[in-house]
Amino acid sequence: MIPEISTRNTESLSRGEKTLSNLLLLFENAVKVPLFRCQRCGECILSSTAFICSQRCPKQLRNGPCGGTDEDGSCEVYPERACVWYRIYYRSQFLKRIDLLYKFNRIHNWCLDKTSSWLNVYRKRIEPPILLTGPDTNALDESINHDA
Amino acid sequence: MTLREKIESGKFIVCAEIEPPKSCNGDVIRRRSRHFDGHVDAVNITDNQTATVRLSSIAAAKILLEEGLEPIMQMTCRDRNRLGIQSDLLGAAAMGIHNVLCLTGDHQKFGDQPEAKGVFDLDSVQLVAMVDQMNRGRLLSGQEMKKATEFLIGAAANPFAEPFEMRLIRLHKKIRAGARFIQTQPVFDLPLFTRWMEWAVDKGLNENCAILAGVMPIRSAKTIEYMKMNVPGIKTNEEHLRRLESASDPESEGVRIAVETIEALQEIKGLRGIHLMPARWLESISVIVHEAGLNRIN
Repeated sequence: MIPEISTRNTESLSRGEKTLSNLLLLFENAVKVPLFRCQRCGECILSSTAFICSQRCPKQLRNGPCGGTDEDGSCEVYPERACVWYRIYYRSQFLKRIDLLYKFNRIHNWCLDKTSSWLNVYRKRIEPPILLTGPDTNALDESINHDA
Repeated sequence: MTLREKIESGKFIVCAEIEPPKSCNGDVIRRRSRHFDGHVDAVNITDNQTATVRLSSIAAAKILLEEGLEPIMQMTCRDRNRLGIQSDLLGAAAMGIHNVLCLTGDHQKFGDQPEAKGVFDLDSVQLVAMVDQMNRGRLLSGQEMKKATEFLIGAAANPFAEPFEMRLIRLHKKIRAGARFIQTQPVFDLPLFTRWMEWAVDKGLNENCAILAGVMPIRSAKTIEYMKMNVPGIKTNEEHLRRLESASDPESEGVRIAVETIEALQEIKGLRGIHLMPARWLESISVIVHEAGLNRIN
Protein backbone atom coordinates (compact mmCIF):
# COMPACT_ATOMS: atom_id res chain seq x y z
CA MET A 1 0.00 0.00 0.00
CA ILE A 2 1.20 3.49 -0.79
CA PRO A 3 1.24 5.73 2.29
CA GLU A 4 -0.56 9.08 2.14
CA ILE A 5 2.23 11.59 1.85
CA SER A 6 -0.01 14.64 1.73
CA THR A 7 -3.01 15.82 3.70
CA ARG A 8 -5.70 16.09 1.09
CA ASN A 9 -8.97 16.67 2.90
CA THR A 10 -10.26 19.65 0.96
CA GLU A 11 -13.96 19.66 1.86
CA SER A 12 -14.77 23.20 2.85
CA LEU A 13 -15.88 24.05 6.33
CA SER A 14 -19.62 24.40 6.89
CA ARG A 15 -20.88 27.74 8.15
CA GLY A 16 -21.24 26.66 11.76
CA GLU A 17 -17.85 25.01 11.63
CA LYS A 18 -16.27 28.13 10.26
CA THR A 19 -17.61 30.16 13.17
CA LEU A 20 -16.33 27.50 15.57
CA SER A 21 -12.95 27.47 13.82
CA ASN A 22 -12.63 31.24 14.10
CA LEU A 23 -13.62 31.13 17.75
CA LEU A 24 -11.13 28.38 18.51
CA LEU A 25 -8.49 30.14 16.47
CA LEU A 26 -8.84 33.13 18.79
CA PHE A 27 -7.82 30.96 21.74
CA GLU A 28 -5.32 28.95 19.79
CA ASN A 29 -3.51 32.04 18.59
CA ALA A 30 -3.56 33.59 22.03
CA VAL A 31 -1.72 30.53 23.33
CA LYS A 32 0.45 29.41 20.44
CA VAL A 33 1.62 32.66 18.91
CA PRO A 34 3.32 34.08 22.01
CA LEU A 35 4.49 30.70 23.29
CA PHE A 36 5.72 29.02 20.12
CA ARG A 37 5.69 31.89 17.60
CA CYS A 38 3.09 29.83 15.75
CA GLN A 39 2.74 30.71 12.08
CA ARG A 40 -0.89 29.46 11.96
CA CYS A 41 -0.47 26.86 9.23
CA GLY A 42 -3.52 24.97 10.53
CA GLU A 43 -1.65 21.67 10.39
CA CYS A 44 0.26 21.74 13.63
CA ILE A 45 3.31 19.50 14.07
CA LEU A 46 4.60 21.18 17.25
CA SER A 47 4.28 17.94 19.20
CA SER A 48 6.84 16.23 16.97
CA THR A 49 9.18 19.22 16.69
CA ALA A 50 9.87 19.67 20.41
CA PHE A 51 7.38 22.56 20.58
CA ILE A 52 9.33 24.84 18.28
CA CYS A 53 7.36 25.97 15.24
CA SER A 54 9.14 24.67 12.13
CA GLN A 55 7.17 27.07 9.94
CA ARG A 56 9.37 29.94 11.10
CA CYS A 57 12.05 28.55 8.80
CA PRO A 58 12.39 30.90 5.78
CA LYS A 59 11.87 27.83 3.57
CA GLN A 60 9.07 26.47 5.80
CA LEU A 61 10.84 23.13 5.95
CA ARG A 62 8.82 20.47 7.75
CA ASN A 63 11.35 17.64 7.60
CA GLY A 64 14.64 18.90 8.94
CA PRO A 65 17.23 21.60 8.21
CA CYS A 66 18.52 22.66 4.80
CA GLY A 67 22.23 22.43 4.10
CA GLY A 68 22.98 26.05 4.92
CA THR A 69 23.07 26.06 8.72
CA ASP A 70 26.28 27.72 9.91
CA GLU A 71 28.64 26.13 12.39
CA ASP A 72 27.23 28.16 15.23
CA GLY A 73 23.71 27.10 14.24
CA SER A 74 22.62 30.35 12.67
CA CYS A 75 20.23 30.53 9.75
CA GLU A 76 21.82 31.21 6.35
CA VAL A 77 19.00 33.54 5.34
CA TYR A 78 18.79 35.52 8.58
CA PRO A 79 22.23 35.12 10.20
CA GLU A 80 21.04 36.94 13.33
CA ARG A 81 18.56 34.11 14.00
CA ALA A 82 19.17 30.54 15.07
CA CYS A 83 18.15 27.86 12.58
CA VAL A 84 14.81 26.55 13.88
CA TRP A 85 15.79 22.97 13.08
CA TYR A 86 19.05 23.39 14.97
CA ARG A 87 16.97 24.35 18.01
CA ILE A 88 14.45 21.57 17.37
CA TYR A 89 17.25 19.01 17.31
CA TYR A 90 18.84 20.10 20.58
CA ARG A 91 15.54 20.43 22.39
CA SER A 92 14.43 17.02 21.08
CA GLN A 93 17.65 15.61 22.44
CA PHE A 94 16.97 17.25 25.81
CA LEU A 95 13.40 15.91 25.84
CA LYS A 96 14.63 12.47 24.65
CA ARG A 97 12.35 12.64 21.63
CA ILE A 98 14.90 12.18 18.85
CA ASP A 99 12.87 9.25 17.49
CA LEU A 100 10.12 11.70 16.47
CA LEU A 101 12.55 13.46 14.13
CA TYR A 102 12.70 10.32 11.99
CA LYS A 103 9.03 10.67 11.12
CA PHE A 104 7.85 12.08 7.85
CA ASN A 105 5.75 15.22 8.09
CA ARG A 106 3.21 15.22 5.29
CA ILE A 107 3.01 17.73 2.48
CA HIS A 108 1.11 20.76 3.78
CA ASN A 109 -2.54 21.22 2.89
CA TRP A 110 -2.91 24.91 2.14
CA CYS A 111 -6.71 24.65 2.44
CA LEU A 112 -6.07 24.48 6.19
CA ASP A 113 -3.97 27.63 6.31
CA LYS A 114 -5.17 30.05 9.02
CA THR A 115 -7.75 27.62 10.39
CA SER A 116 -7.81 26.10 13.85
CA SER A 117 -5.57 23.07 13.97
CA TRP A 118 -7.27 21.96 17.20
CA LEU A 119 -10.52 21.68 15.29
CA ASN A 120 -8.70 20.05 12.37
CA VAL A 121 -7.29 17.39 14.68
CA TYR A 122 -10.69 16.81 16.24
CA ARG A 123 -12.37 16.53 12.83
CA LYS A 124 -9.53 14.22 11.64
CA ARG A 125 -8.55 16.56 8.84
CA ILE A 126 -4.91 16.14 9.76
CA GLU A 127 -2.98 13.07 10.71
CA PRO A 128 0.16 12.57 12.75
CA PRO A 129 3.54 12.16 11.03
CA ILE A 130 4.41 8.70 9.76
CA LEU A 131 7.47 6.54 9.37
CA LEU A 132 7.96 6.03 5.66
CA THR A 133 9.12 2.63 4.53
CA GLY A 134 10.51 2.82 1.06
CA PRO A 135 11.17 -0.46 -0.72
CA ASP A 136 13.74 -2.67 1.04
CA THR A 137 14.47 -0.45 3.98
CA ASN A 138 13.90 -3.00 6.72
CA ALA A 139 17.48 -2.69 7.85
CA LEU A 140 16.82 0.93 8.65
CA ASP A 141 14.05 0.11 11.13
CA GLU A 142 16.47 -1.42 13.55
CA SER A 143 18.68 1.63 13.59
CA ILE A 144 15.72 3.79 14.62
CA ASN A 145 14.84 1.52 17.51
CA HIS A 146 18.45 1.70 18.48
CA ASP A 147 18.28 5.50 18.64
CA ALA A 148 15.00 5.59 20.50
CA MET B 1 24.60 0.99 -19.36
CA THR B 2 22.40 3.51 -17.65
CA LEU B 3 23.23 5.12 -14.33
CA ARG B 4 20.65 2.91 -12.62
CA GLU B 5 22.26 -0.23 -14.01
CA LYS B 6 25.71 0.98 -13.03
CA ILE B 7 24.56 1.69 -9.49
CA GLU B 8 22.91 -1.71 -9.27
CA SER B 9 26.01 -3.44 -10.63
CA GLY B 10 28.14 -1.95 -7.85
CA LYS B 11 30.46 -0.03 -10.16
CA PHE B 12 32.38 2.98 -8.84
CA ILE B 13 30.33 5.94 -10.12
CA VAL B 14 31.73 9.22 -11.42
CA CYS B 15 29.29 12.10 -11.86
CA ALA B 16 29.96 15.72 -12.70
CA GLU B 17 28.02 18.91 -12.79
CA ILE B 18 27.27 21.44 -15.52
CA GLU B 19 25.75 24.91 -15.23
CA PRO B 20 23.39 26.01 -17.98
CA PRO B 21 24.09 29.50 -19.37
CA LYS B 22 22.30 32.70 -18.40
CA SER B 23 20.99 32.98 -21.95
CA CYS B 24 19.06 30.96 -24.53
CA ASN B 25 22.21 29.76 -26.28
CA GLY B 26 21.97 25.97 -26.28
CA ASP B 27 25.33 25.69 -28.03
CA VAL B 28 27.00 26.66 -24.76
CA ILE B 29 25.70 23.43 -23.25
CA ARG B 30 26.76 21.40 -26.28
CA ARG B 31 30.22 22.94 -26.07
CA ARG B 32 30.50 22.38 -22.33
CA SER B 33 29.23 18.82 -22.63
CA ARG B 34 32.32 17.85 -24.66
CA HIS B 35 34.43 18.14 -21.52
CA PHE B 36 32.40 15.30 -19.99
CA ASP B 37 32.04 12.91 -22.88
CA GLY B 38 33.64 9.58 -22.08
CA HIS B 39 34.90 10.70 -18.69
CA VAL B 40 31.82 10.49 -16.47
CA ASP B 41 28.80 8.23 -16.00
CA ALA B 42 26.23 10.98 -15.69
CA VAL B 43 26.06 14.76 -15.65
CA ASN B 44 24.06 16.87 -13.20
CA ILE B 45 22.28 19.91 -14.57
CA THR B 46 21.71 22.57 -12.00
CA ASP B 47 18.27 24.11 -11.60
CA ASN B 48 18.76 27.89 -11.31
CA GLN B 49 21.51 27.37 -8.76
CA THR B 50 22.11 30.05 -6.15
CA ALA B 51 18.66 31.32 -7.16
CA THR B 52 19.95 32.89 -10.37
CA VAL B 53 17.93 32.58 -13.57
CA ARG B 54 19.48 30.23 -16.12
CA LEU B 55 18.33 28.08 -19.00
CA SER B 56 15.98 25.48 -17.52
CA SER B 57 17.38 22.20 -16.28
CA ILE B 58 14.82 20.19 -18.29
CA ALA B 59 15.81 21.82 -21.58
CA ALA B 60 19.49 21.48 -20.77
CA ALA B 61 19.00 17.82 -19.84
CA LYS B 62 17.32 17.19 -23.19
CA ILE B 63 20.24 18.81 -25.01
CA LEU B 64 22.67 16.57 -23.10
CA LEU B 65 20.63 13.52 -24.06
CA GLU B 66 20.94 14.53 -27.70
CA GLU B 67 24.69 14.84 -27.19
CA GLY B 68 24.78 11.24 -25.97
CA LEU B 69 25.34 11.97 -22.28
CA GLU B 70 23.21 10.77 -19.42
CA PRO B 71 21.69 13.72 -17.57
CA ILE B 72 20.71 13.97 -13.91
CA MET B 73 18.11 16.70 -13.82
CA GLN B 74 18.13 18.75 -10.64
CA MET B 75 14.71 19.78 -9.40
CA THR B 76 14.28 22.37 -6.67
CA CYS B 77 11.23 23.39 -4.68
CA ARG B 78 11.97 27.10 -4.76
CA ASP B 79 10.48 28.00 -8.12
CA ARG B 80 7.49 25.71 -8.58
CA ASN B 81 4.62 24.46 -6.52
CA ARG B 82 3.48 20.82 -6.47
CA LEU B 83 1.54 21.24 -9.72
CA GLY B 84 4.49 22.69 -11.58
CA ILE B 85 6.90 20.07 -10.27
CA GLN B 86 4.67 17.14 -11.23
CA SER B 87 4.00 18.49 -14.68
CA ASP B 88 7.70 19.22 -15.28
CA LEU B 89 8.58 15.72 -14.10
CA LEU B 90 6.06 14.17 -16.49
CA GLY B 91 7.45 16.28 -19.31
CA ALA B 92 11.01 15.26 -18.48
CA ALA B 93 10.05 11.57 -18.33
CA ALA B 94 8.35 11.85 -21.71
CA MET B 95 11.59 13.17 -23.21
CA GLY B 96 13.61 10.29 -21.82
CA ILE B 97 15.12 11.97 -18.77
CA HIS B 98 15.08 9.36 -16.02
CA ASN B 99 17.41 10.65 -13.32
CA VAL B 100 16.24 13.37 -10.98
CA LEU B 101 18.05 14.97 -8.05
CA CYS B 102 15.55 16.33 -5.52
CA LEU B 103 16.64 19.49 -3.73
CA THR B 104 15.00 22.15 -1.59
CA GLY B 105 16.90 24.87 -3.42
CA ASP B 106 18.92 27.89 -2.32
CA HIS B 107 16.91 30.70 -0.81
CA GLN B 108 16.07 33.48 -3.30
CA LYS B 109 17.92 35.93 -1.07
CA PHE B 110 21.23 34.63 -2.45
CA GLY B 111 20.30 35.13 -6.08
CA ASP B 112 20.12 37.94 -8.57
CA GLN B 113 16.46 38.63 -7.76
CA PRO B 114 16.10 38.55 -3.98
CA GLU B 115 12.76 40.33 -4.28
CA ALA B 116 11.18 37.16 -5.75
CA LYS B 117 8.67 35.06 -3.84
CA GLY B 118 10.09 31.68 -2.86
CA VAL B 119 7.57 28.88 -3.30
CA PHE B 120 8.81 26.02 -1.07
CA ASP B 121 5.45 24.25 -1.36
CA LEU B 122 7.32 20.97 -0.70
CA ASP B 123 10.64 20.30 0.95
CA SER B 124 13.24 17.97 -0.51
CA VAL B 125 12.15 14.98 1.60
CA GLN B 126 8.56 15.45 0.47
CA LEU B 127 9.73 15.88 -3.11
CA VAL B 128 11.56 12.55 -2.94
CA ALA B 129 8.40 10.91 -1.56
CA MET B 130 6.30 12.47 -4.31
CA VAL B 131 8.57 11.24 -7.11
CA ASP B 132 8.56 7.79 -5.50
CA GLN B 133 4.77 7.86 -5.55
CA MET B 134 4.82 8.84 -9.23
CA ASN B 135 7.14 5.90 -9.87
CA ARG B 136 4.44 3.73 -8.33
CA GLY B 137 1.95 5.12 -10.82
CA ARG B 138 0.13 7.72 -8.77
CA LEU B 139 0.06 11.48 -8.88
CA LEU B 140 -0.02 13.41 -5.63
CA SER B 141 -3.77 13.86 -6.07
CA GLY B 142 -4.08 10.08 -5.80
CA GLN B 143 -5.04 9.70 -9.46
CA GLU B 144 -3.63 6.65 -11.19
CA MET B 145 -1.45 7.36 -14.19
CA LYS B 146 -1.73 5.18 -17.30
CA LYS B 147 2.04 5.01 -17.41
CA ALA B 148 4.17 5.31 -14.29
CA THR B 149 7.39 7.32 -14.33
CA GLU B 150 10.68 5.47 -13.98
CA PHE B 151 12.84 7.99 -12.20
CA LEU B 152 16.05 7.08 -10.46
CA ILE B 153 15.69 9.36 -7.45
CA GLY B 154 18.65 11.18 -5.99
CA ALA B 155 19.01 13.59 -3.10
CA ALA B 156 21.71 15.72 -1.51
CA ALA B 157 23.37 15.60 1.88
CA ASN B 158 25.62 18.00 3.73
CA PRO B 159 27.88 16.01 6.07
CA PHE B 160 29.64 19.15 7.30
CA ALA B 161 26.84 21.26 8.74
CA GLU B 162 25.75 21.13 12.34
CA PRO B 163 24.13 19.30 14.08
CA PHE B 164 25.85 16.18 12.85
CA GLU B 165 23.19 13.67 13.91
CA MET B 166 20.32 15.75 12.52
CA ARG B 167 22.01 15.53 9.09
CA LEU B 168 21.98 11.77 9.30
CA ILE B 169 18.36 11.72 10.41
CA ARG B 170 17.43 13.80 7.39
CA LEU B 171 19.46 11.53 5.13
CA HIS B 172 17.68 8.58 6.71
CA LYS B 173 14.32 10.17 5.88
CA LYS B 174 15.33 10.83 2.29
CA ILE B 175 16.36 7.23 1.78
CA ARG B 176 13.20 5.91 3.38
CA ALA B 177 11.20 8.24 1.15
CA GLY B 178 12.78 6.60 -1.91
CA ALA B 179 16.18 8.15 -2.69
CA ARG B 180 18.49 5.69 -4.46
CA PHE B 181 21.59 7.81 -4.68
CA ILE B 182 22.98 10.65 -2.59
CA GLN B 183 25.39 13.36 -3.66
CA THR B 184 27.18 15.16 -0.84
CA GLN B 185 28.54 18.67 -0.54
CA PRO B 186 32.20 18.90 -1.62
CA VAL B 187 34.57 17.16 0.74
CA PHE B 188 37.34 19.42 2.06
CA ASP B 189 37.45 17.92 5.54
CA LEU B 190 38.35 14.26 5.03
CA PRO B 191 38.45 13.15 8.69
CA LEU B 192 34.97 14.57 9.32
CA PHE B 193 33.62 12.99 6.14
CA THR B 194 35.15 9.64 7.09
CA ARG B 195 33.44 9.83 10.47
CA TRP B 196 30.14 10.71 8.79
CA MET B 197 30.46 7.77 6.39
CA GLU B 198 31.27 5.41 9.26
CA TRP B 199 28.09 6.48 10.97
CA ALA B 200 26.04 6.18 7.77
CA VAL B 201 27.41 2.67 7.13
CA ASP B 202 26.80 1.75 10.76
CA LYS B 203 23.13 2.69 10.33
CA GLY B 204 22.91 0.73 7.08
CA LEU B 205 22.19 3.83 5.04
CA ASN B 206 24.47 2.65 2.23
CA GLU B 207 22.65 -0.64 1.75
CA ASN B 208 19.90 0.54 -0.57
CA CYS B 209 21.39 3.79 -1.64
CA ALA B 210 24.62 4.75 -3.40
CA ILE B 211 26.44 7.52 -1.55
CA LEU B 212 28.58 9.67 -3.85
CA ALA B 213 31.06 12.10 -2.32
CA GLY B 214 31.30 15.62 -3.71
CA VAL B 215 34.73 16.66 -5.02
CA MET B 216 35.40 20.24 -6.01
CA PRO B 217 38.57 20.88 -8.00
CA ILE B 218 39.95 24.30 -7.08
CA ARG B 219 42.11 26.24 -9.45
CA SER B 220 43.41 29.06 -7.27
CA ALA B 221 43.68 30.38 -3.73
CA LYS B 222 41.27 33.14 -4.72
CA THR B 223 38.48 30.60 -5.24
CA ILE B 224 38.88 29.35 -1.67
CA GLU B 225 38.84 32.91 -0.32
CA TYR B 226 35.67 33.58 -2.31
CA MET B 227 33.92 30.47 -1.05
CA LYS B 228 34.85 31.29 2.52
CA MET B 229 33.12 34.63 2.22
CA ASN B 230 30.15 33.80 0.02
CA VAL B 231 29.06 30.17 0.11
CA PRO B 232 27.03 29.12 3.15
CA GLY B 233 27.40 25.62 4.54
CA ILE B 234 30.84 24.91 3.05
CA LYS B 235 33.94 24.41 5.16
CA THR B 236 37.14 25.20 3.27
CA ASN B 237 40.51 23.63 3.90
CA GLU B 238 43.36 25.81 5.20
CA GLU B 239 46.02 23.39 4.03
CA HIS B 240 44.69 23.48 0.47
CA LEU B 241 44.77 27.26 0.66
CA ARG B 242 48.44 27.21 1.71
CA ARG B 243 49.37 24.71 -0.99
CA LEU B 244 47.63 26.71 -3.71
CA GLU B 245 49.21 29.96 -2.55
CA SER B 246 52.75 28.60 -2.57
CA ALA B 247 52.44 26.53 -5.77
CA SER B 248 54.22 27.80 -8.88
CA ASP B 249 51.46 26.31 -11.04
CA PRO B 250 48.25 26.52 -8.98
CA GLU B 251 46.17 24.70 -11.61
CA SER B 252 48.20 21.51 -11.58
CA GLU B 253 48.38 21.76 -7.79
CA GLY B 254 44.56 21.99 -7.79
CA VAL B 255 44.36 18.85 -9.92
CA ARG B 256 46.81 17.12 -7.56
CA ILE B 257 44.69 18.03 -4.52
CA ALA B 258 41.53 16.73 -6.22
CA VAL B 259 43.21 13.47 -7.22
CA GLU B 260 44.59 12.97 -3.70
CA THR B 261 41.09 13.57 -2.30
CA ILE B 262 39.60 11.03 -4.70
CA GLU B 263 42.22 8.44 -3.82
CA ALA B 264 41.54 8.92 -0.13
CA LEU B 265 37.79 8.71 -0.73
CA GLN B 266 38.16 5.42 -2.59
CA GLU B 267 39.55 3.93 0.61
CA ILE B 268 36.40 4.78 2.58
CA LYS B 269 34.18 1.79 3.23
CA GLY B 270 30.70 1.99 1.77
CA LEU B 271 31.34 4.90 -0.56
CA ARG B 272 30.02 4.19 -4.04
CA GLY B 273 31.43 6.96 -6.15
CA ILE B 274 32.25 10.61 -6.55
CA HIS B 275 30.48 13.68 -7.83
CA LEU B 276 32.76 16.29 -9.42
CA MET B 277 31.77 19.95 -9.11
CA PRO B 278 34.19 21.84 -11.32
CA ALA B 279 32.15 25.09 -11.44
CA ARG B 280 33.65 26.83 -14.47
CA TRP B 281 36.88 24.83 -14.62
CA LEU B 282 35.55 22.15 -16.94
CA GLU B 283 38.94 21.36 -18.46
CA SER B 284 39.95 19.81 -15.15
CA ILE B 285 37.43 16.96 -15.46
CA SER B 286 39.22 14.83 -18.03
CA VAL B 287 42.62 15.40 -16.39
CA ILE B 288 41.40 14.47 -12.92
CA VAL B 289 39.46 11.43 -14.08
CA HIS B 290 42.49 10.24 -16.02
CA GLU B 291 45.02 10.84 -13.24
CA ALA B 292 42.79 9.18 -10.65
CA GLY B 293 42.61 6.13 -12.94
CA LEU B 294 38.84 6.32 -13.26
CA ASN B 295 38.56 6.35 -17.06
CA ARG B 296 35.14 5.25 -18.21
CA ILE B 297 34.91 2.61 -20.86
CA ASN B 298 31.54 2.87 -22.52
